[in-house]
Amino acid sequence: MSVYSIARQEWAESIFKVSTEYAIYAPVEKFKTVDYELVTAENVSEIAYNGQLPVLPLKAFFFPVKENVGQEPVADKRIIIGVRNCDLMALKLLDAVFLDEEFLDIHYQSRRENTILIGNDCYAIKETCHCTVYGLEPYPQENMDITISPVGEVLYLSVATPKGATLLTKLNMTGLREESELPESVQRKRAVIREKLKNQHKELPGLEETKAGLLKTDASFWQEYAQKCVSCGACAMICPTCHCFLLIDRQNFEKVKNWDTCQYPSFEKVAAGEDPLRRLSKRLKNRYECKYIHKPEMFNALACTGCGRCIDACIGKIDKNQIIIAACKKD
Amino acid sequence: MPGKNIYKPILFKLDEIETESPLIKTFFLHPEADFHFKTGQFVEVTIDGIGEAPYTPSSSATVSDRMEITIMKAGYVTSKMHELHPGATLGIRGPFGRGYPLEKFYGKDVIILGGGVGIAPLRCLILTMLAESEKYRKIHVCLGAKSPGDFIYKSWYPQLRAMEKINLLRAVDKADQEWDETVGVVTVLLDKLDLDFSESVAIVCGPPVMMKFGTYKLLEKGVREENIYLSMEKNMSCGLGKCGHCALGDYYVCKDGPVFTYDQIKDYPDIWI
Ligand code: SF4
Ligand code: SF4
Ligand code: FES
Repeated sequence: MSVYSIARQEWAESIFKVSTEYAIYAPVEKFKTVDYELVTAENVSEIAYNGQLPVLPLKAFFFPVKENVGQEPVADKRIIIGVRNCDLMALKLLDAVFLDEEFLDIHYQSRRENTILIGNDCYAIKETCHCTVYGLEPYPQENMDITISPVGEVLYLSVATPKGATLLTKLNMTGLREESELPESVQRKRAVIREKLKNQHKELPGLEETKAGLLKTDASFWQEYAQKCVSCGACAMICPTCHCFLLIDRQNFEKVKNWDTCQYPSFEKVAAGEDPLRRLSKRLKNRYECKYIHKPEMFNALACTGCGRCIDACIGKIDKNQIIIAACKKD
Repeated sequence: MPGKNIYKPILFKLDEIETESPLIKTFFLHPEADFHFKTGQFVEVTIDGIGEAPYTPSSSATVSDRMEITIMKAGYVTSKMHELHPGATLGIRGPFGRGYPLEKFYGKDVIILGGGVGIAPLRCLILTMLAESEKYRKIHVCLGAKSPGDFIYKSWYPQLRAMEKINLLRAVDKADQEWDETVGVVTVLLDKLDLDFSESVAIVCGPPVMMKFGTYKLLEKGVREENIYLSMEKNMSCGLGKCGHCALGDYYVCKDGPVFTYDQIKDYPDIWI
């Protein structure tokens, strides 16, 4: 990986220059929340490199809430800045699902290929961030084209792919300096954040233990937690790895791919009427089994990257980590 | 240049419709583009602008210029199917799933256990096997229905019975005056088979209760877990192993199934509902 440094100011100016060719999205803080916004002349200086995790999961850029897949794939060129590792690692599962060779989803593929992902070190972490529990680092590890590590007014750019290198050439920044490696201060910061994350979730078991804990839960365990669940599906919509959808028919044999979730009633109901997930408690349980037992086995990828969004989003105040801790409690 | 769009159906023309029973009709279709499937695979059928549902063809997989699908009226899409007339254009995606591993049945006694509209996919299997009947030892077809009038494909049974390779046994819950075959649940037919169950394979397709008790009875008779093939019915949307609707443990039924051996799925809860 080659490392470069550039002044924040020049980076902002240069990246804005290519906005005629690419739609550029970056995290911007508004009303105390950070979310991806289309980069414009007005907000380009407000890009939150050191901010919180964007509310929108990255998946939405590749697997939109609603997409007419009866039409030609969208091939707009995009750059997404400020992407976090939890979201990048979630792409591993989504890629396995949608880029599966047997049934390649050309709509997903086109969006994926035409997007440059610029990852970001996590400096501001939320109380609910727990990526390290599943063995992840608080900086981009896979699927990024470039990583930005900010140090004061300087941005360190680690280029990970040819796609990233090409963009850098195109930006043609006069102040770009090649560095031998990331500065000590970035390494130290990474270690500090990693420790902080580990400390805030000391009691939370890792994937293998979670699996074992879930396997020994009984129906009454889930009935208790299900009392607070209202089946709104927010946990799945906000989750960077949940990829379930429903095809809805339009005229001319077109289909619209709509986000769907096992948390909604009738998700598994068959025409004859049987429904294995009729009970809400079974739906809740299904979410956990899907994420921590079945998906890792089926796709050899994490189905929970510890982003914590589902905990932040739950209107029933269900903390999935508390459920996992309870499931793993030795009795 | 993007590749093939997996969400786009190919068009089929509806040639003919046959009423099998008040709730069941068979649709005779032909494809407007090249189309092939293997027995045990299913297709997703779209009525334009209305909806899509999965069905397993009931005609032979060795025939590719036409296809038959038998559909029971159960929900919204199937009701709309029943309202169609010959000449209609339907969309078909697929084929999906793994199909039956016929090579594993070669040289063996094959027990086919079915009931209700579950006989439809079994008809496809039987017809496909008959195209190379010398490869199998004997095909024991054990079918059940509520009453004699509820059997689909009524004109087919005399033909089947005349075939040397076929041993056809039928049971009804409730007989009428003409019925001279078995009265009782379909599983009692297994008691009438004289063969080495431990060396036989069994294929089961029918309503959930029948699948459950059929499997238990086959196990009791000595058929091995890995030789019992079950057609699992699940909610399906994409057929592609992506939408998540058909999840069954570590499997997506659409892609990894819909046919599973009993030993693959026996440890999952709720497989029979
Ligand atoms: S399950 Fe929750 S914490 Fe895990 S990746 Fe999904 S939203 Fe984030
Ligand atoms: S948790 Fe539910 S919605 Fe999310 S991927 Fe699994 S089955 Fe789909
Ligand atoms: S029907 Fe979509 S994953 Fe099986």
